[in-house]
Order: sequence, then C-alpha cells, then structure tokens
Amino acid sequence: MTQAAIYSRGITKCFGGLTAIDNIDLIVPEHSISSIIGPNGAGKTTLFNCVSGFYVPDKGEIHFFGQPIEGFPTHKISELGIARTYQNIRLFSEMTAIENILVGQHTRMQSIWVESILHNPRYLREEKAALQQAFDLLDFVGLSGLGDTPAHNLPYGAQRRLEIARALASQPSLLLLDEPTAGMNPQETAEMTAFIKNLRDSRQITILLIEHDMRVVMDISDQITVLDYGVKIAEGKPAEIQSNQRVIEAYLGPGAAALSKKFKRKKTHYA
Amino acid sequence: MMTSLKKGLRSGIVFGIVFIFLMLIGFINVGSNMIGDLLGNMENLGEEARLPVSNLLIFSGLFGLFTGINARKDEGDGKWWSGILGGLAGGLASGWLVWLAVWGSGSLYMQGVDFRTYLPNLGPERMRYLLFYSTPEAAANTYLTYFILFSLAGSVLAWAVSAVHGLKRGLTRAKESVTQWLDTKTVRQIFDNKWVLAVVMITVAALLYFLPLAWGSYWNYIMGTVAIYILLGLGLNIIVGYSGQLVLGYVAFFATGAYTFALLTSPAPHGIELNLVLAVGLSVLVSTLTGLLLGLPILNLRGDYLAIVTLGFGEIIRILIRSDLLTPLTNGPKGVTNVGQPNWFGQVFSDVNYMHLLMLLVLAGLFVAKRLKDSRTGRAWIAIREDQTVAQATGINTYGYKILALLLGAAFAGLGGALFASRNQFTGPEDFTLMVSVNVLCIVIVGGMGSLPGVVVGAFVLKGLPELLRELADYRLLAFGALLVLMMIIRPEGLWPAKRTRFRRLNRDPYENGAAEVEV
Repeated sequence: MTQAAIYSRGITKCFGGLTAIDNIDLIVPEHSISSIIGPNGAGKTTLFNCVSGFYVPDKGEIHFFGQPIEGFPTHKISELGIARTYQNIRLFSEMTAIENILVGQHTRMQSIWVESILHNPRYLREEKAALQQAFDLLDFVGLSGLGDTPAHNLPYGAQRRLEIARALASQPSLLLLDEPTAGMNPQETAEMTAFIKNLRDSRQITILLIEHDMRVVMDISDQITVLDYGVKIAEGKPAEIQSNQRVIEAYLGPGAAALSKKFKRKKTHYA
Repeated sequence: MMTSLKKGLRSGIVFGIVFIFLMLIGFINVGSNMIGDLLGNMENLGEEARLPVSNLLIFSGLFGLFTGINARKDEGDGKWWSGILGGLAGGLASGWLVWLAVWGSGSLYMQGVDFRTYLPNLGPERMRYLLFYSTPEAAANTYLTYFILFSLAGSVLAWAVSAVHGLKRGLTRAKESVTQWLDTKTVRQIFDNKWVLAVVMITVAALLYFLPLAWGSYWNYIMGTVAIYILLGLGLNIIVGYSGQLVLGYVAFFATGAYTFALLTSPAPHGIELNLVLAVGLSVLVSTLTGLLLGLPILNLRGDYLAIVTLGFGEIIRILIRSDLLTPLTNGPKGVTNVGQPNWFGQVFSDVNYMHLLMLLVLAGLFVAKRLKDSRTGRAWIAIREDQTVAQATGINTYGYKILALLLGAAFAGLGGALFASRNQFTGPEDFTLMVSVNVLCIVIVGGMGSLPGVVVGAFVLKGLPELLRELADYRLLAFGALLVLMMIIRPEGLWPAKRTRFRRLNRDPYENGAAEVEV
C-alpha cells in the first residue's frame, strides 16, 4: 500500500467574495504522476499555491507524508521537500544557469556566512559537492555546456527545463509542475512528456502537475483531478475521466456533451 | 546630403546653445582662464591680471571644432564634401546663434545694463572680455567667423580621421581582440600562475605602501575620505547591490558608529577614553544592533515603502543627536571634539600611517564582501534581489537573509563611522545629513550594482573627482553633474558592472573552453 504524498481535506480559499476553491479533497499517492485539469479560472493554480504555501487556505488541512503543512511559510515547505515550477517561468534571470541550480540547493546546504568568509574545510567540501551536483543536474535536464549562460539568455524550452532543474536541486519528494508544456510545439511537448515520466522513474519522486494539453495529461497521468468553478467534479484514471459526463459538460457545455453521447456510440466503431 | 546638412544644423544649434549658456553663467571666462593657466600667458596689467584675448579665441575655436566633428560623426562612407557641408551648416548655425547672443547682450551692456542683477557671474569685467574689449558688432562678427572656420576644420578633421581608419570601429575591434586574447589558454595560465600572482601582489602592495608617503598630507586626506567611502559603499552594496533592498537611511549606521566611537574616546562630555581597538569594536557592534532594531520591524516592507521608512530613520537619528533631550549624552549641535586618535605604542598616527590603516581595512572589506558574494549566503541575497517570492519558495528564509544583509551593511558603516570620527578628530550632527546616504547610494549605482570594483571606482569618481575639479572653483558641481550625466548615458549599467561568476566543471582541464562552443 503506497503512502499518500499529499492528503488534504476540505481546502477552501476565498478572495473577497469569490470562492476560488471550495472544499477540495486531494489525495496524491506516492510515486504517482497526478494531474489537475479544468477550464480557465477553475482554481487549479490556487490549489497549487495552497499546497506550496503561497496561500494559506481559509479552511481545511493539508498533510504532506502525514505532516500537517497548511500555514507554513514557503521556505519551510520547500525544506520539507516540496518544490515547484511556475506557469510563467520565474527564474533568477540575471544569474547563470548553474547559479540558479545552486540557489535551488540552498535548503540542502548548512554553511553560514561566517564560514564563507573563513573558507573552512566543511564549507569548501559543501560548495564542491554542490557544484558537482549542479553540473549533474544540468546534464540531467540536457543543458550541458550552458552553465555559464545567464538565465534570461536561454531559449524558452531551456528555461523551462532549467526551472525543473532548480526545483530538483532541493531534492524534493514532491514536485509541482504548473503547465510544464505551455507554449511548446508538438516535438518539444513530446520530449517534455518523456522527460517527466523519466523523472518520476529515475528519481523516485511524486509529481503533481497542472496541464492543458489533454494528450499529455492522458498519456502520463496515473490519476486525474478535474476542477470546475473551484469545485472538484471528477477524479480517477484517464480512461474514467475521458468518459465522464460532467467533465465533458464542463469543458464543452451541456449541449456539446449531449452530442458527444450520441457520437460515442459510433466512436466504438472506429476504435 | 540632406542628412549631413540636418546633422550639421542640429549639432550647430546644440553647441551654440551650450556656448551661450556657458557664457551667461560666466563659464567661458573660467574656461579661458584655465587655458591661460595651461599656456602660462597671463598678462599683468597693474592690479588685476588680464587675460589675452587669444585664450577666449582658443576656447571658442574648440567649440567650433566639436561642432564640426559632431556634424561628421558616424559617417565614414559619405562623400567628402557632404561632411564639409555639414560642418559649414553647423558652423553657420552655432555662429549665428552666438552672434545674436553676443550682439544683443553686448549692446545692452554698452547701454549700461548691469547683468549681475540676474546673472551674478557676468560682471562688467567679464563682459568686456567676452566682447574682446571692442564693440558688440565687431565681437559678434569675430565669433561668427571663428565658429564657421573651426567647424569646417572640425569636419575636415573628422573626415580625415575616419578616412585614415574607421576610428570607432577600430577601437571596438581592438577591445574585442584584447578580451579574446585575455581569455586564451596561455594568458589565463599566466595569470593563474602562483608566482605571477605573487609578483603582481607585491607590486601592488609596494605601490599602496609608498603612495601615501609620496602624496603629501592633502592627498592623504582626500584619499582617506575616498577609502572611508569605499567602506561605506561596500556595506551598502551588500544591502542594495546584493540583496536588492533599497535602504535610503544608510547614514544612520554611519552616524551611530561615529558617535559611539567619539563618545567612548573623547575626554568630553563623558571622559571614558576607552582603548581604541575596543572602541572601534563597540562602534561596529552598536551600529549592527541599530541595524537589527531597524530591520526587525521594517524588512517585511518592499521597494518604495522600505525606501521611505529608512529615509525617515536616517533623519531621525540626526535629529535625535542634536535634540535637547539627548544633548547631555551627545553634546547636541556642538558635536564631540578631541576624538581619540589611533597610536602605535604611544606614538600618534601620522597621516601616512592613517592612510595605510585605511588601505588595510579597505582590502579586508573587499575580501569579506567578495567571499560573501560567492557563497551560499551571497547567492541567496542575489536570488532575493531577482525575485523574492520565488527565492522564498526555493527554500530561502528571505526575512532572515535580508536582516543579515542589513546587519553586515550596518557593520561596515559603523567601522567607517569610527574611522571618520577618529580621523577628523571631531564629529557633529551636520556630518550626517541625507546627502551622505545619497552619495553612498550614488557610489553603488554609478559603480555598478553589486560590483566590488564598481564600488572602488565609484568612490574614486564621486569623492575623488570633485577634489580634482577644484580648479573649476564655483563650477565644480556643474562640471561634476555634467560628468555624471555623461557617464550614465555612456554606461547605464555602471562604470564597472558586476560580472557573473563562471563555474568550471570539476575534474577537468580548467582551461578548456567547454561552454563557448555550445550554440545558444
């Protein structure tokens, strides 16, 4: 029986009069790839922000491997082992690729400022190990040789991958990816999909992602959660979600949903 | 042809207006004076020294030359006569503008109008000089002829220079090739060699040791100020340059350090006269504590709000020092005199010793700042500067690191303050006005945010250059301002912008150019 990486009950978050997410239960099994989907404004990113500590939920509880984390500041949550990427890339743009990854390792290093002036053996050992690991991560995400390039000079796809490398640098047990394939062409998307799968398998981590590209979602997800207007309307395996009436209604409207019902009878024919 | 005409006209109008402006504020006379100093051709006519008119002509001629050169600028491939045309247009434009100004003001002057009511620097003696001691018409015509002739000469000169060699292009190419050469394997190996490094270090050390001996006390004083400002700049660079927090009340920490040191070592008003090393240590400590007290409540603020609050804090400290309430403690507006001077086994430090001490401390400060920058701490600061929210989500305790930056910055200021008070033998509330904060901030920005050599260069430019410009007397600040504007236009990122540290893969030939070959 696998343990739940995220076990949360009744998360609610309001902004003024608007209830962005309402009473959401979310369970993310360990070593799974789970996706959150839903139309624009459904509350996906709000849910993400609650998990990663950007927002404090108004109600509900979030457990990360059994430990309650709601209300923790983001750096504490990061320390516990949750790392994330952002919908619109947010790298430290003036810093080089390697430096970005080194910053990512911050929580896994211990040296304090006095040691950096003294250059005592522990500090030097730690810095050396960190640099080695940073180069390894750079290779892992396929950016070998671009270490000294300032982040803002990297091409778009490379920036996305660097962001993932920075997140991985903190050795997270849960990785949150906010639209990892946004703005990518089919070729790049396929590469990213393979990359995410490989990530889970080789690093033994849990991945929770928001994604709009249904082909990606259906391809890699073990579990899909569908939000609409802040409410969870469905949850299950890709095949279940594909045939779920409420999901189709949420995406296409009730009329189209009815149409698709008719269409489905024929569809078996092609399949 | 039209473009060169247009360019010439524009350049002529600009330079004409600048010339008239300088004339009205009396700078033309000062400029001619300087040329007189340079040529050593002052004529002594009785009581007051009178300048030969030729100096004024040289000055105007230089203006004409600039007009011409500017009209021709960046036009390496045009026909030779189109540049000449531009020069002619420039000369005519500026010449006529000046003609009008000289003729107009000259006629008014002849009718007995005293310009000093409006333009205090344009006295009758200067006016007469501007008119070449002749009639307005004759003077105006001379200016016109001069501007046209020299503008033409300037355009020919510019053409000649660009024809011989695309000067600007050549310079860029030369700079590129030097940079490339410096990056080649052999050169880098030379610079990384221990012995070469040792020789360079010894040369620099010797230079630093012997310079204060050769300079004399005046230069030691100025360079001492520069050194103290380098220390302040290094401290503020940690706060503003690294961690990106805009603190405008930096003077508060400087003042705390200076006053702590002064009160602990002066015979009046408390008569503590503590050991000096201990007093310096305490000054740094008290400044750091002030930083903590200020930082704890306000470092949650961001950007403009932080700037305003700290701005107020800087002023509060100064007002508190001179307030009636604290006068028994701080001696109020009178300030503290007879501040302790460092000594070496009973012998009081000379200006040379003092300079050496300051140099050592500056080197130590640079060392500390450099090591901080390249560490986990420094990277955390820069990450906070780049994007605070993400930095925190990456696991950095942003609040803690911002406070740390403020504390270390305040410590630098405390050290600077103690040295400042000790060297001046005095400290008073008026030493710690807002201008100090602004000056230090300017050093950081003009030098290049987050750059250590930038702080050094910035301190020299902002605190040393005004002293060099003392020749210009009243016009010092004007020239200084113009220089700053010029610098920010030419190098907006700072005089010596910060370079990103380059990391080399471990267990590999460190001189291999791995990164350069990959296409981006």
